[in-house]
Amino acid sequence: MSGFLILLTIFLPLFGGFAIVLTPIKSRKAVLGLSLSITVIAAVLAWILILNPPANPVILFRFIDRFSIAFKIDGMSKVFAGLISSLWPFAVLYSFEYMEHEANENTLKEKTFFGGYVVTFGVTLAISMSANMLTMYCFYEMLTLVTIPLILFTMSREAIRATRLYIIYSLGGAAFAFIAFIFLTAYATTIDFSLGGVLNLEKIAGREDVLRVVYILAFFGFGVKAAIFPVCSWLPKAGVAPTPVTALLHAVAVVKSGAFAIIRLTYYSFGVRILKGNFAQYIPMAFAIFTIVYGCSMAVKERHIKRRFAYSTISNLSYVLFAALLMTPLGMTGALTHMVFHGVMKIASFFCAGAVIVKAHKTYVYELEGFGKKMPKTFFVMSVSALALMGVPGLCGFISKWQIAKASIDSASIGGYVGLAALLISALLTAIYMLQILIRAYFPTEQETNVEKCDPSFRMLVPLYAFTIAMVVLGAYSTPLISFFEKVAGGMM
Amino acid sequence: MITLWKFNDVLSLSYKIDSVSIVFLIAIVTLFACSGVYSIYYMKEKENLRRYYIVYMLLFFVLCAMSCAGNLFTFYLNYELMTLTSAPLVMHEQTIEARLAGFKYLIYSLMGAYCVLFGFYTLNKYCVSLDFTYGGTLNMAAVSNHKGLVLTAVFLMILGFGVKAGMWPFHSWLTSAHPIAVSPASAVLSGVIVKAGAVGIIRVVFYLAGKDFIEGTWVKMAWMVLILLTILMGSTLAFFEPVLKKRLAYSTISQVSYILFGLVTMTDVAYKGAMLQFIAHAFAKCALFLMAGLMIKISGSVYVKDLKGIGRKYPLLLWCFAICSLSMIGIPPTGGFIAKWYLIEGSLNSNYYNFPWSGPMFLLLSALLTAGYLLPIVLRGFFPGEEFEDNNIEKIKIPAYVYASIIVLTVMAVIVGICPGIFVGGEM
Repeated sequence: MSGFLILLTIFLPLFGGFAIVLTPIKSRKAVLGLSLSITVIAAVLAWILILNPPANPVILFRFIDRFSIAFKIDGMSKVFAGLISSLWPFAVLYSFEYMEHEANENTLKEKTFFGGYVVTFGVTLAISMSANMLTMYCFYEMLTLVTIPLILFTMSREAIRATRLYIIYSLGGAAFAFIAFIFLTAYATTIDFSLGGVLNLEKIAGREDVLRVVYILAFFGFGVKAAIFPVCSWLPKAGVAPTPVTALLHAVAVVKSGAFAIIRLTYYSFGVRILKGNFAQYIPMAFAIFTIVYGCSMAVKERHIKRRFAYSTISNLSYVLFAALLMTPLGMTGALTHMVFHGVMKIASFFCAGAVIVKAHKTYVYELEGFGKKMPKTFFVMSVSALALMGVPGLCGFISKWQIAKASIDSASIGGYVGLAALLISALLTAIYMLQILIRAYFPTEQETNVEKCDPSFRMLVPLYAFTIAMVVLGAYSTPLISFFEKVAGGMM
Repeated sequence: MITLWKFNDVLSLSYKIDSVSIVFLIAIVTLFACSGVYSIYYMKEKENLRRYYIVYMLLFFVLCAMSCAGNLFTFYLNYELMTLTSAPLVMHEQTIEARLAGFKYLIYSLMGAYCVLFGFYTLNKYCVSLDFTYGGTLNMAAVSNHKGLVLTAVFLMILGFGVKAGMWPFHSWLTSAHPIAVSPASAVLSGVIVKAGAVGIIRVVFYLAGKDFIEGTWVKMAWMVLILLTILMGSTLAFFEPVLKKRLAYSTISQVSYILFGLVTMTDVAYKGAMLQFIAHAFAKCALFLMAGLMIKISGSVYVKDLKGIGRKYPLLLWCFAICSLSMIGIPPTGGFIAKWYLIEGSLNSNYYNFPWSGPMFLLLSALLTAGYLLPIVLRGFFPGEEFEDNNIEKIKIPAYVYASIIVLTVMAVIVGICPGIFVGGEM
């Protein structure tokens, strides 16, 4: 029964999304109602599964003996599925008001958008619940394909260029990841995910270095979606997409699928035993550390709000990768914590930027003078998310950085200390690029009298406030969640 | 110790009151009360008053909470909140310069805070607990193999808190932010907020790492060199500075380093001197900044040279200015004198290389420079010289409560000198 539930959770949004595009409904409200109800049902189902996970994997389709499309819910799946199914319904609600302005009452365009948005939910859920490398790889490729219409949405020349870049990078990256898959089929006892790795140590004896090189290739392959330097330039360019896409897909779902895949690859397929303490750990870690600083520096330089946040995402994703690459249970705990907490913080700041774009048509940082008075509610949320991203204690950003720092100090390695220093430099740069926005908004040099308030309506404000509450609550009361992550990393889930 | 909230097993929000908290609290409460009263007059014609008073009260609350922090996390939390809530006071005028100065202040302070954070992360592993306990809580067995790392962490924390205390080379935010802030705000900035850095250093050096751990290491040496440089540099730059509030800001840099001087000496006498300097400087400098605000209003100019003859129309104001200047220089019976007495006695008793004679030398040199940059203001104010013509500027009416707030601070600065025992324990 619960096996069937997994399939329903994944395929309801997957096919439901296509249905939205294809059915001949005209009214906006019906489109929204349909997409919102599909999303909410799928999210509720996902949460039921997270709370009562089925013991056995569900095999949907078997190619030949070991190769099958199979789904299973383990600790990692719970974390990622829990994150996306909590955010997605809010994002759909937010999109409704946003798309009113963006789509210019073009129903077909809007239907495509909502359809694509819902399909992506299904695909991401499938990635989070995949039981083996083959399943994850298939849905990972599919994720690239179903998000293309979303980036292409405006059909402007810029959007086309961004989409082309995205396709080339993602498919190229997947090809590298495929190499790892081939090697796994040859050298692993099974391709199912299992904490600690599945490599057949007798078989690989004497060929460890080859497998380490393969790991590095796959790391950068999956790293394309996780936007690691030097394969990160697609992410800021993809900011031409409508804000709900940038906020949810390019700050949470798609990019975190990359990080998720890397954690699967490192901890569940190759296993830290052969990777730790040699070049397979050091080279990716060096790139992750560099990306942490690079992303932030570019964000400071960038004056377009959404692109600035995109660079910030690049940097924050590398926090996750850095923590994961410490290759200790504590490191994995840190990675999972930041994966979830950053998702909440970044989606909140993106949604604020989106509210400014649709309500005031401003897209650059220097245009935000005096917005603290024009959009007080939006900028309240923006301030909270800025402080959380900076890591002010009491908000969730501090806790996730605390976990990563604890792991890196505990590793007592040079990489750990250098990474921690990069983390703190990046925190300072984060302060620079976020406070710039707040200072302009709250301390305008020209004082206007009679400012017209243009805060968005409740459809946008509900998600914003929900995320604000989440940032505060996760910051103040994180112990149960963190101990759950510790159990996941310790293999007890 | 009262625990309000536990964030996780290590991080908890706990408060308790010890001797350092009391000294800090006395300074905070007096300064905020006096500057608050003064604000009623000074801020009358400014805009955004609602924001100003809300932020002012928030800052007061955060500072009180910080002074009573019982562990490093609570201290750090309130320290960051202090940075964030004091920035709006710097940027209150909303001019481009004010905004830049505020931004510079934020970035410098946060840079310091993140240096502290590195130490925080490290000490979390190597300390038994992060509660403040006099003598330190280091787990010596764990430290023994990682002494270099822990020393680096402690040094980074000293540097990080030193940013707030205006320690060289991170002092430059002070001379941008203090002059541009509105006067009551610069009075509390200079009076207590820079001292939050000193309190942070006290907490780290005496209450977490323990002074025995730092005694005789490179950390002490490097820290001492930075302090001596800062003392001299602050006074020298103040001496050559023509803008009144900037001169006072440079003076703060030098004077706050006196406190650190008492700490780095690490003898009990010098520690007492540091606490006295802490409180005496808080009262005197706050009064000086409040008066500077009035003087700028009276003369309509930010330069020292335009203050000639100001004592003729405002004798009370200049008398207070003179007394506070004496405290800055260290002339009896003011608090500055007794503080410097203990500082010098403490450094004479320390057996650290050539510090017993070089330390006092730096202090005396700086005192000389202090006399050089403050006394001419008083002298020219009372005795403008023969060629001075009263240019018939209409006399501004200053309400009595403004005078009262300044006089209270001045009197307090003198009381510190007469009966220091009230502030730092009985036996003195």
